[in-house]
Amino acid sequence: MKRIIVCGLIMLGLVLASEMIAAEKQALQIDGSTTVGPIADAFAEAFMSNYPDLEITVKKTGSGDGAAALVDGRCDIAIMSRFMKEKEFKKAVENGIFPVAHVVAMDGVCAVVHPSNPVTQLSTSRIRDIYKGKITNWKEVGGPDSPIVVISRDTSSGTYETFHGLVMNKEEMGSKVEYVNSNPQAHARVKTTVGAIGYVGIGFLDANVKALKINGILPSRQTITTGQYPVARPLFMFTNGYPKLGSMTYKFCTFYLTETGQEIIEAKGFVPVTNY
Amino acid sequence: MRPIIRQITDKAFTFLTGTSVVLLTFVLLIVLGPMVWRGAKAVIFKDTVEFRKMQLDLYNRGNPASLKIQNTEAESFRKIVYETIDTFKHGIDTEELIDRTKQIYRQFGKELRYKGITGEEYQKIRSLARELRDKLQAAFESNDKKIIKENVDYVLQYRLYKDLADTAAAEFFTLAEDFLKSIENIDLNKRQQYAGSLEQVEEIVFRLLGPKPSEPLPALTMDRYGATRWDLAQKLLDKLLWSEQWIQKEAGQPLVKIRVSRAEEFAGTKLEPLFSYVQNNLDKMLLPRPRFYWQYFIDDSTPGHYFGGVGPEILGTLLLTLLAMLFVFPLGVISAAYLVECASDNIAVRIIRMCINTLAGVPSIVFGLFGLAFFVLFFIPLFGGPSKPCILASSLTLAVLTLPVMIRASEEAIRSVPQSYKEASLGLGASRFRTFVKVTLPVALPGILTGVILSLSRVAGETAPILFTGAVALGPLPKSLFDPTRTLSYGSYDIAVGDRLAMMVPHNQYGMVVTLVFLILCLNTIAIVLRARVFRKLRGN
Amino acid sequence: MITDSTIQGQQLRPAADKNQSLVLTPLQDMKGFLLHHIGRMLLFLITCSSVVLVLLIFFFVIRQALPFFTKFSLIEFLTTKSWYPEAATPKFGALSLIVGSLYVTISALVFAVPTGILAAIFLSDIVSLKIRDFVKPVIEILAAIPSVAYGFFAVLVLAPWMQNKWGFTTGTNALNASIILSIMALPTIISVAEDSISAVGRELREASYGLGATRFETIFKVVMPAAHSGIIAAIVLGMMRAIGETMVVWMASGNANQIPSPWWDLSQSVRTMTATIAGDMGETPKDSPHYWSLFAIGVVLLAMTFLLNIISEYFLASAKKKTGKS
Repeated sequence: MKRIIVCGLIMLGLVLASEMIAAEKQALQIDGSTTVGPIADAFAEAFMSNYPDLEITVKKTGSGDGAAALVDGRCDIAIMSRFMKEKEFKKAVENGIFPVAHVVAMDGVCAVVHPSNPVTQLSTSRIRDIYKGKITNWKEVGGPDSPIVVISRDTSSGTYETFHGLVMNKEEMGSKVEYVNSNPQAHARVKTTVGAIGYVGIGFLDANVKALKINGILPSRQTITTGQYPVARPLFMFTNGYPKLGSMTYKFCTFYLTETGQEIIEAKGFVPVTNY
Repeated sequence: MRPIIRQITDKAFTFLTGTSVVLLTFVLLIVLGPMVWRGAKAVIFKDTVEFRKMQLDLYNRGNPASLKIQNTEAESFRKIVYETIDTFKHGIDTEELIDRTKQIYRQFGKELRYKGITGEEYQKIRSLARELRDKLQAAFESNDKKIIKENVDYVLQYRLYKDLADTAAAEFFTLAEDFLKSIENIDLNKRQQYAGSLEQVEEIVFRLLGPKPSEPLPALTMDRYGATRWDLAQKLLDKLLWSEQWIQKEAGQPLVKIRVSRAEEFAGTKLEPLFSYVQNNLDKMLLPRPRFYWQYFIDDSTPGHYFGGVGPEILGTLLLTLLAMLFVFPLGVISAAYLVECASDNIAVRIIRMCINTLAGVPSIVFGLFGLAFFVLFFIPLFGGPSKPCILASSLTLAVLTLPVMIRASEEAIRSVPQSYKEASLGLGASRFRTFVKVTLPVALPGILTGVILSLSRVAGETAPILFTGAVALGPLPKSLFDPTRTLSYGSYDIAVGDRLAMMVPHNQYGMVVTLVFLILCLNTIAIVLRARVFRKLRGN
Repeated sequence: MITDSTIQGQQLRPAADKNQSLVLTPLQDMKGFLLHHIGRMLLFLITCSSVVLVLLIFFFVIRQALPFFTKFSLIEFLTTKSWYPEAATPKFGALSLIVGSLYVTISALVFAVPTGILAAIFLSDIVSLKIRDFVKPVIEILAAIPSVAYGFFAVLVLAPWMQNKWGFTTGTNALNASIILSIMALPTIISVAEDSISAVGRELREASYGLGATRFETIFKVVMPAAHSGIIAAIVLGMMRAIGETMVVWMASGNANQIPSPWWDLSQSVRTMTATIAGDMGETPKDSPHYWSLFAIGVVLLAMTFLLNIISEYFLASAKKKTGKS
């Protein structure tokens, strides 16, 4: 028995030792939104294949956490799907961090329903009423006679902020609204629930959910860049000051300007800022 | 009460209690069954040549020479697919053709300037080229075959024009001819519809067979390979052969999904034979073979767990649990020793016991809060460490979580040592300390070890305490104790609800959870077997 | 003389050393005394670590929650339903959360208590030892499955099943969470209840059988009342397990900030305290009112489980007193 314990301890020691011996790699820490997450992941992948010595960690827990991490100095880049709030900005400046925003892509917050739902468009006021709980059955908006399952993002999310600001006009949501913690979760809920309505970033649209026309406009690359689509927003990467030219942070934040970066953004379903 | 009623109630009661236990077993099977079945597919499945290519590129596994042979074999069958699509595409995808004409025009202009032609002659030839380009574009964009023929004939007139032959502009003519040929069988009015469907078909072929050999390598790893698993390929094949549409059968009712055969959709066009060809020859294009992918447990995964395995997660879980054990083992055993050997029933000991029971009852998320507030924000910075979530904070939190379990198990083990052993040793003149270390402890050790293993299994499955103290969903391997790490428990949560790419690879989702459950069940079985042996040994005395 | 004896090559120290006196010198005596008592004191201090840890837990969690309680009203926290921590004027009404936790816990107990007690009776009274050894592993495996795996099952298997087969509008609701929580609480209830039922002495049972009672009547009217404190303790422990569970309710309860409107409608989505803490903490900046409010919820949770713990301790102690075991 004792021998087993001793062997276990030796193994543990070896594991720990081996890790500390590993060479010091350059590290880039990125925190923030789940909407911008796929872009950051894909950029990180492309970067790490070009620079094998570079280690990029992407944490996707929400725009709010990204801002907090940047303010605390825990990350190099904060990816956010909304601009920094006043109190975040103030706290940052107090801590000596001067946030600079880089717009890497454009996004539209799309209202999505199950593909079997015959409803194809809703106005913002209708959507607002649905989310406030005033409209509870699909037949009130031209759909089948079934209750509406309302899905929203949690209140710390940037996607929620955009939706709340532009569609809800900052009014409170009703109490029956179900909350999910990320874009993929919202997508999964709408995909599997026939009576659901939710909202996701345009990068999460696919054949499993149907995007509604809001005020008659369907979210697409064109309607977002021209500003026609009412719930369009830019996606940001925040850094502390403008990053030093040639540093890894700089290269990461300007990757969206390269052709590969644009390809990646389009492949992920977002709208590139430039038309190449 | 009549005796018969009493007998019936008695039998009914026995039956009821039996059903409750049967219900339990049933529930266990329902919960574990589907997960284990789907998770096993992550390790045992039919792979394709794309999988073997990916293994060679990413993990340096496999025989390059034999893979090359397989690749060429597969390529020969795939070529036909690409050719069919291309010929069809040229009649449909006019955007590409229009872009090409623009490029030709620009290149021709550059060539002229290079040759030094200037002035009026330059203007003349250039405007002729522009005219040809515009006529071609009109031809490409029009839906009327008559107009197309008109424009193309106009362009072809200038074929032998000396200023245009042997230059970049000569390509105008090949384009025109090819175009005429390719639109022979196509109903141009359906072009828009074909274009949409064609895009879907191309996307599916891309996912099935990977990028075309002539194309540049895509930036993302997940796009570089086709279908790596045969079951995935089957699903894609189904999507290729049948398109799903939602149509409204009745007003005010939900839409109904119908399946439309794509071969019918493209009936009469050059693309029609593609579908039956792919259906019949998919196995020759992908070369499926059964595979036992045990390296799943040691491989790292590509971002999103699209390819690869759960190696880092297993490592993370093992690190956290073993480190937590390191902290809790001495503390637990010594506390248990004190409680058994030296404690008298005074108020201090009663308070200690109450506190141990309180610790056992604290919810795991509150441990997470405590770990955040104390270890991450206070304790570790006190010793100069960084104030961020890390392995050290997580394992300390988990150690606190599992302390009561350890103390209870050790206490039970030490108490179960027969009194006669202790008395014999004391009778021989050994001190109490010596008795404990040399006599009681070795006998109790298997029991203590059982407690250790049970604690390990409990700690391995905990997610809530490590949420904010040290676990990340995606990240590099930890370099030191002050880095966060991926774990099986948090990874399972993230992959079940949070990761979009993982939704496309359900076998990976189940694989991770099943690995965790498997690990824990193994540990538990070892503990049970150990306990049974110890029990039997001690009972025999 | 045994001074030079060796056994298998090892030199034995003679048991009686003629050069050492039998009476200890004062120095040796004091050394032995100190060593003994300091050693015990050291062990005592190490054992006190558990006390220290409990105190630390309470201290730190309350410390991080205090800024919330000083700035926001406790009454509003406990009695209003609007939980909008990130709004321009933040509102912290945790009533729906507290009720949500209690709601799923009690629904879980409604399923788990009858099944658990019946199973405990089955194991202690009705089957032979052999079958019991066969059934016990089933219960231990149920107890060992991690909560993440249960949550996985709830979201990916049970929720679609509820929506498609049983026609629920939403598969992530209170019923889903209750079912899974009851499965998780069952092993605790079964093992503690079974222990206490088995601890009832044979004499009681034999006396009852001797008077001509059937097995059902013996168990129901004699054994269970005798073991009632242990059974209550089992239920309370099961309740503690259910109320403290995080991952399952986070994934399966839908997280709608509401109290179901016909109160018995389990098909509506609810939110628990644990899910709120887990879900919001990752995105909250440190030292903001939202951050403190999450610790405040933690304090409520801690208070509840502490109370339940004391109650279960009381009942376990009274059960032990009755059966005379220690």
